[in-house]
Amino acid sequence: MKVISADHAVAHGVRLARAEVIPAFPITPQTLIVELISEFINDGELDAEFMPVESEHSAMSAAIGASAGGARAFTATSSQGLALMHEMLYAAPQNRLPVVMANVNRSLGAASGIWLEYNDSMPERESGWLQVYIEDNQEALDMIIQAYRIAEDRSVMLPVMVCLDGFVLSHTVERVDLPSQEAVDSFLPKFRPLNVLDPEDPKFINPVTPPEFTMEMRYQLDRAMEGSREIIQKVDGEYAKVTGNRYGGLFDLYNMEGAETALVTLGTATSTAKVVVDRLREKGKKVGLVKLRFVRPFPARELLEATRELKALGVFDRSISFNGFGPVFTEVRNALHSVTYPITNHIAGLGGRDITFEQVMHMFDIVRKSAEGEGTRECTWHGLRGAME
Amino acid sequence: MYEIRFHGRGGQGAVMAAQALAEAAVLEGYYAQAFPYFGAERRGAPVRAFARIDETKISLKSQIYEPDILVILDESLLEIEPVAEGLKSEGSAVINSEKKPEEIDLGVEVQCAAVDATTVALETIKAPIVNTSILGAFAKIQDFVPLESILNAIMNRFGEKLGHQAGVMNTSAAKLAYDRAVVGRTRGTRELVRKKEWLPPWNEIPPGTALAPVNVGGVDIGPGSAWQNFTGTWRTSSPRYIKEKCIRCLRCWFSCPEGCIERQDDDYEKWDYRYCKGCGICAEVCPVQAIEMVRGVMEW
Repeated sequence: MKVISADHAVAHGVRLARAEVIPAFPITPQTLIVELISEFINDGELDAEFMPVESEHSAMSAAIGASAGGARAFTATSSQGLALMHEMLYAAPQNRLPVVMANVNRSLGAASGIWLEYNDSMPERESGWLQVYIEDNQEALDMIIQAYRIAEDRSVMLPVMVCLDGFVLSHTVERVDLPSQEAVDSFLPKFRPLNVLDPEDPKFINPVTPPEFTMEMRYQLDRAMEGSREIIQKVDGEYAKVTGNRYGGLFDLYNMEGAETALVTLGTATSTAKVVVDRLREKGKKVGLVKLRFVRPFPARELLEATRELKALGVFDRSISFNGFGPVFTEVRNALHSVTYPITNHIAGLGGRDITFEQVMHMFDIVRKSAEGEGTRECTWHGLRGAME
Repeated sequence: MYEIRFHGRGGQGAVMAAQALAEAAVLEGYYAQAFPYFGAERRGAPVRAFARIDETKISLKSQIYEPDILVILDESLLEIEPVAEGLKSEGSAVINSEKKPEEIDLGVEVQCAAVDATTVALETIKAPIVNTSILGAFAKIQDFVPLESILNAIMNRFGEKLGHQAGVMNTSAAKLAYDRAVVGRTRGTRELVRKKEWLPPWNEIPPGTALAPVNVGGVDIGPGSAWQNFTGTWRTSSPRYIKEKCIRCLRCWFSCPEGCIERQDDDYEKWDYRYCKGCGICAEVCPVQAIEMVRGVMEW
């Protein structure tokens, strides 16, 4: 047991997963991760190559190269760093290179800042990476280990981005239980790459691909992403067998039994929302919570199943698509296009603004009103100064 | 659930204090979390950190607005921000002060442990880093996290990060502060007023991010706002100039990172105490000891 930050929990996860190559470039609030990893390597606690590269573009390039060379690769970044990686991000999925990366969410400027917003990782939903959002420090550690198992599954072979809230998680210390190395070794077998760049056995990786092939390769990738849903569920169950920690896979349900209204949240907003749900349940209100974990693959069918009986649903977003809605809302409404109840969007916490108990209570209040047929906005900004138009 | 809010200045170790307290609570069998509020990180700037302690797993992740316990690492903060804002009336406080609780006007009348943590820190760890001293005093105001666990947590955290000797010195700081802390009741006459800030509604913020030097409702914003915002109160010690010793070599003038030393026509110096942070670099570079650092926010 340790009392550590989520950044340090991630570093312990990387150590326990026995990552072999870690190219990285520092950026707040991610830096604590690679600092601790470099200490592990220096102290002989992790047998890996640490590559202090000159930019995030190079960090991702080196991680992809290492993975193509048959090594288990890890890197971490935030915000502008992820944006600088954008070009290279696309090389990992189509080449079926299961790199794992921690993205400590931080708003992408301008408006420039170091604080939490999901506008760095949300645009990368289309890159072919799996994307999972984390609620607490224990989950951060456990998810790094799970991420390798999912990414390296023969039927998946795709990279995974583990997203965690900047500062609210990255710099918050909590009690974290470290699984034993034996337990992790029994859960996570050695990395078996599909193809290895090996001078003794020459191959061409990532050649120019003419129109005769690209569509088929894209469909293959789309199917692999689709198939990863099942692997995510399976891996969650198997991890629970080894450590006792279970997270629900694609998403988790909180007090959804008999719920009439509910909120979909992701990241640390989930934690505060749980307290609000508890309070409302004490008062006899039939409310529940869907803790969304994976945004890629998006659990459309499973979500429809879990929310079918509701009378109204709210969707929380920590970024905005500048078309009146946030990206998670667009995903959820697309998944639930067949339902007849109202679905509202709730934007909060942009640029690191604190999400308070009262704000989440207000979200539930709007969802209740929408269920009762009262006129509500489709999208409400919570904690905004000044009246909405 | 206990909610604790720490108020300090960058460099005093408020964040480490909150983390060590969380660890001490975990050692006692509680669940705990600790986190900082990150602003622009500068030595001497007011900082806040938070800790929650509970018997069950803590879900709440928001900042703390109505603390049960307030930990104040720097008494001078009382003059520049409403430190005790939201403190529960049945709550308590721990403060780094030379005064007795009865002499401290916190703005809320509560149980309080007061200790001159700066002196304790200077005696034990030879630096004005008061985080471990203040935790010793914390042990005197409540009984759910006893001194022993606090000492163990300090040893774990500081020992692991800075070496065994640092762990020993910091635990001795906490012990000494525990012994010296005086418990009493604070006064509550001070008005807790927030400094006037420019926080307009969305439709009154000029489009774009460019900020011209302007004054809105008595608040300076944009470039030049430092004309209103004196940062000299951040210092814990002040440079005293002994002109008779000065050889006019200008090293201090050249080295001041804040540009607070004014070169006079005759090459003697003058200090701008409105912005001096008391970093002590001028005293350090002076070859003839013509500058000495004196504790407190002083000017000559």
